[in-house]
Amino acid sequence: MLKAAYAQQETEGLLSIDGLARAVGLPEFLAEQGMEALLAFGWVEEDAQGGMHLTNEGKVRAQELIRVHRLWERYLVEREEMPLEAVHTEADRREHEITPEEAAKLDAELGHPAWDPHGDIIPDAGRRVPPPAGSPLAAYVPGDRLRILHVEDEPPALFAQLVAMGLKPGVEVEMVERQPGRLRVKVAGSSLPLAAAAAERIHAVPVPILPVPLSELPVGSLARVAEVKGSGKHQRRMLDMGLVPGAEVTVIRTAALGDPVEYHVKGTAIALRHTDTDNILVEEIRNG
Amino acid sequence: MGKRAFTVGVAGNPNVGKSVIFNALTGSRQHVGNWPGKTVERAEGVFHYQGWEIRMVDLPGTYSLAAQSPEEMIARDYIVSGVPDVVIDIVDATSLERNLNLTLQILELTDRVVIALNLMDEVERGGWKMDVEALEEALGVPVVPTVATEGKGLSELVEAIVEVAEGRQQTHPAAVNYGLTVEGYVETLEDDLARLRIDGRNRWVALKLLEDDPEIVEAFQQGNLEACCLNPDADTQSVLPETLHAILNRAVRLREGIRPDAKVEIVRRRFEFAHDLVHRVVHRLRPEEESLTERIDRIVTHKVWSWPIMLAMLTIVFWITVKGGEIGGGWLGAGFSWLIGAARAWLTSIQAPWWVTGALVDGFMMGTGTVIAAMLPPMIILFVAFALLEDLGLLPRLAFNLDRPMQALGSQGKQVITWGMSFGCNVTGVMASRIIENKKVRLASILTSPLIICSGSYGAGVALAIVLFGEGALLVMLSLVFLSLGAASLATLGLNKTIFRGEPGSFVLEMPPYRKPQFGQVIWRALVDRVALTMWRAVEFAAPATLLIWVLGNIPRGVPFEQTAIGWLVRGLAPLGQLWGLSGEMLTALLFTLPAKEIVMPALAMTYGLQTTLVESEQVLNYLPQVWTPLISYTFLVFFMFYLPCLVTVWATWKETRSLKWTLMGLVVPLVMAALITFVVYQGGRLLGF
Repeated sequence: MLKAAYAQQETEGLLSIDGLARAVGLPEFLAEQGMEALLAFGWVEEDAQGGMHLTNEGKVRAQELIRVHRLWERYLVEREEMPLEAVHTEADRREHEITPEEAAKLDAELGHPAWDPHGDIIPDAGRRVPPPAGSPLAAYVPGDRLRILHVEDEPPALFAQLVAMGLKPGVEVEMVERQPGRLRVKVAGSSLPLAAAAAERIHAVPVPILPVPLSELPVGSLARVAEVKGSGKHQRRMLDMGLVPGAEVTVIRTAALGDPVEYHVKGTAIALRHTDTDNILVEEIRNG
Repeated sequence: MGKRAFTVGVAGNPNVGKSVIFNALTGSRQHVGNWPGKTVERAEGVFHYQGWEIRMVDLPGTYSLAAQSPEEMIARDYIVSGVPDVVIDIVDATSLERNLNLTLQILELTDRVVIALNLMDEVERGGWKMDVEALEEALGVPVVPTVATEGKGLSELVEAIVEVAEGRQQTHPAAVNYGLTVEGYVETLEDDLARLRIDGRNRWVALKLLEDDPEIVEAFQQGNLEACCLNPDADTQSVLPETLHAILNRAVRLREGIRPDAKVEIVRRRFEFAHDLVHRVVHRLRPEEESLTERIDRIVTHKVWSWPIMLAMLTIVFWITVKGGEIGGGWLGAGFSWLIGAARAWLTSIQAPWWVTGALVDGFMMGTGTVIAAMLPPMIILFVAFALLEDLGLLPRLAFNLDRPMQALGSQGKQVITWGMSFGCNVTGVMASRIIENKKVRLASILTSPLIICSGSYGAGVALAIVLFGEGALLVMLSLVFLSLGAASLATLGLNKTIFRGEPGSFVLEMPPYRKPQFGQVIWRALVDRVALTMWRAVEFAAPATLLIWVLGNIPRGVPFEQTAIGWLVRGLAPLGQLWGLSGEMLTALLFTLPAKEIVMPALAMTYGLQTTLVESEQVLNYLPQVWTPLISYTFLVFFMFYLPCLVTVWATWKETRSLKWTLMGLVVPLVMAALITFVVYQGGRLLGF
């Protein structure tokens, strides 16, 4: 409850009963009881205008809880090899059974990790919890290649389902299609439908297009030449075959023994060896 | 002279139909030689049109004029020299953008250019429409669409050449815009160069200086612009080396200002220009569909299926070669027997002296007949099969699949193709090596092809092996085939580690679309260009050689075998072969076998004093197993397979390299390998107690 209140205050500035109810997935009357409890602890106060917000004490406690929660999640995945979709509930239980000293020991034992298994930052003791980085999936357009940074772990059922679909932090996805209320993403080669509500809970950043050697692209890929390395004859030969910065290259097929590889460039089919294509850096447009 | 004549240089990318157009225009009036000081073939031809004598010079196929290979250097220097009054640039219309890279470079050098837009039929079949007029407008020189294989557009092409040569057609060659930075620097350098009065080439030289072109930079360093950049028409003055150095230094400084790299930027801009141009003049008429080439390639280069397909292809070619050789050889043999019988009868009837009959019939006719009957049929079949596979476009696919293992030997996939052809006939193998662009790899192919057992020596070897080993013959021959592949691989590796050591060139293999072979044309050219010529050479070598052999064995007449010239030779050569277990008889027989490997049996019969003519006989079959131990037999077979290529192969090596040095190396490499392998086999066998 306190964590949900913290999150709400961080994003909206103020607390509201119905917002809390939605976030925790409880009926409104139960959320109201929870709020009263928070007020009683002195973690939440009402200001002159009747707005509710966290007290400093409440913030510190919330930060501590979030930090310990994420540490536990990390611990559970790493040390007890618990499945990702189960750790949230267990961590919710354990976060209350630990002293700050024990938390520090846990942190040290895990090697002061920076991220929890959902891709959220584990704040240092006493620090503000940063909001999730990146933008929700729904903010991107078809064709974008994205890396998932964060998957909301609430509500647990939805989270478990997303994880089962392979949508985990660190995974790369490609936006295939976007329609009102629904979108379609490509994960590990298969295309999945995703409800807009679920997409809101996945935060991602565009995959930075790092030039890779042409030799590393799988068959079927389309790429744009970024740089032609090497010198003298080799470089010149590649350039004169049309492999100039900006040129588009398609990987057609590999020879029966894996090398050389046939490419289409400038309307011509040519076969090149790995030793030459290692020196051609390309930006992927489409992965085979 | 008073005769009106001009010269045309024919330039273009490799595989664009350059030689088809060249052959179609000049017909058989061609002269083939080498470019001075280079092992690159130079073909010249002459034809007449409207009172003009037009001399055509076929330039090497290149993708660029960057002077990074001997071919590019030749093409560029020739255009720079100003000798050609007109340059035809033959362009593959199906890959216009890549081809324009060369075209635009040529246009920077000369304005007297005519472009032949070849393979226009494939452009239409592929569902494209090309606006030739717009292309002509943009490039500023005449553009003539052609379909060379069908002779379409050739008369228009000649008409355009003459118009440009006569100056009736004004040209305004397109200039690539290399972007603000480069153009600014070019202008700066052009101002400097204007003082040199190289007239009309300023822009080109300025660009080359910025590109760090090795040839131009060296010319500036040495203070001699004669060969590299001077326009022969210009009124040239001598320039101080200091002036040239100052210009060079400025170019070096300016070059630093072009990011990321001047060379890359200049080529990139040129391709950008080509890209935009192609976009303007080429339009797709119907959506792209999967091409036939794509469908065939999926099978032919398949990870699993490619192997049985390649094997089946080779097996079929060789089966036809061997079968055809047997049948054709039989017919030819019968024909020659009849001819020899008739000649003998006629000579007897006119009471010719014994030595005339002997030399003419038993020496010259018998020997030459045997060589022709043995060599002609497989050669015809192989040359035609190779030409068809080449025309069809299958050879690059074979090279594609087989490149990986050849990389380990420092070579390329195409070398395997020449080996494959060598299994049929070493001469075809040596000649097939011209499909390899890289000079080192081409030479390695030529030098190692003779290590592959050809069908001639294989046939002779089988006959010997059956006599010597009976049931084990097949096993023996199989071991020899593997030994031969091993020897060729080892020699390739050895060559690439020693005399061909150095930086390997980049490997670029074009995969042209499959094309329906021009059967009539291909077969005709294979028969005329290759078979007829080769066979004529074979006869030229075989005739004197077989005559000499007869003389050696029969003069003086009536003396015991020991006192004939052969007897002397046998005794003289005997000490040479001791370390290898080879007797004087064997070495002499192998000398006699040089005209053609097929005559080894009769040669042995002669050197063992069993007969005095090169005619097949039963005698030697019974004799050899009595005097040769199994180890000696095997040793002889090994040496026989490798020792030296036949004389026709030596001639082919000369023809392909035009160099005495490489022709001699073509003898040294097999001889060294034969000595090595035979030594190991013989001495090893002795140690093991055979």
